[in-house]
Amino acid sequence: MNLFRSEEHVRRWSGFSAGSDDGILTLDQAMAVMSTPRHRDRLNGRYVSSFPSYGAPFFARLREVTGSSPYWAPPT
Amino acid sequence: MADTAALDRTWDFILRAMVADGRAPHYTEIARAFGIAPDAGRQLVRDLMSAGLPCWLHPDTDLIASFPPFNNLPTQYQLVVDGARKWYAQCGLEALAACWTFPGKSVRVEAPCLDCAEPIEITVRDGRVESARPDGIRAYVALPAREWRANLPHA
Repeated sequence: MNLFRSEEHVRRWSGFSAGSDDGILTLDQAMAVMSTPRHRDRLNGRYVSSFPSYGAPFFARLREVTGSSPYWAPPT
Repeated sequence: MADTAALDRTWDFILRAMVADGRAPHYTEIARAFGIAPDAGRQLVRDLMSAGLPCWLHPDTDLIASFPPFNNLPTQYQLVVDGARKWYAQCGLEALAACWTFPGKSVRVEAPCLDCAEPIEITVRDGRVESARPDGIRAYVALPAREWRANLPHA
């Protein structure tokens, strides 16, 4: 999960994988994805016990941000 | 396996230590803080690392390598808070999430672009991007989400 100066730089990068276009996010999209309780609540004192509840809102946010791309679908 | 309350406490101790010091504590520091034997501290760390969270040990050691949003080994994602440069992020996305461990503070992410090595600089605060240079920055995740668990350090 890396940062690039632009989409052109992502696509030119030697590590870019064909077919992974949906893996490219704008900065605002990335910030939104990283702002669910899974990330916000890390200092709440009960993070490990709460962790199972963090998956659903995280993947819901991914669906919202990425237009339900299968690339971001959770493991089954 | 330690009980969940013990794992909660261990997680919290490690993360707060990383926020304060910019490095992960050794298990003996955890043991000392908790008033338990070193071996018990080591077991807490091992149990925490096998609890299914996105953190891990350096291979074949009991040394914490990565603990989100931070990395205990330097990465290309340097974090600057209040002028201090003590932290590295686990990855580009976690660099953004690091703001949640510094509530009310601006967190500057400094990184090179992996394509051209030219600088990227982003400042985030409480989940809001305050500034970003250059315009048009992108995050890229090379693996579909269904493959993250099996490839955590790469993802």
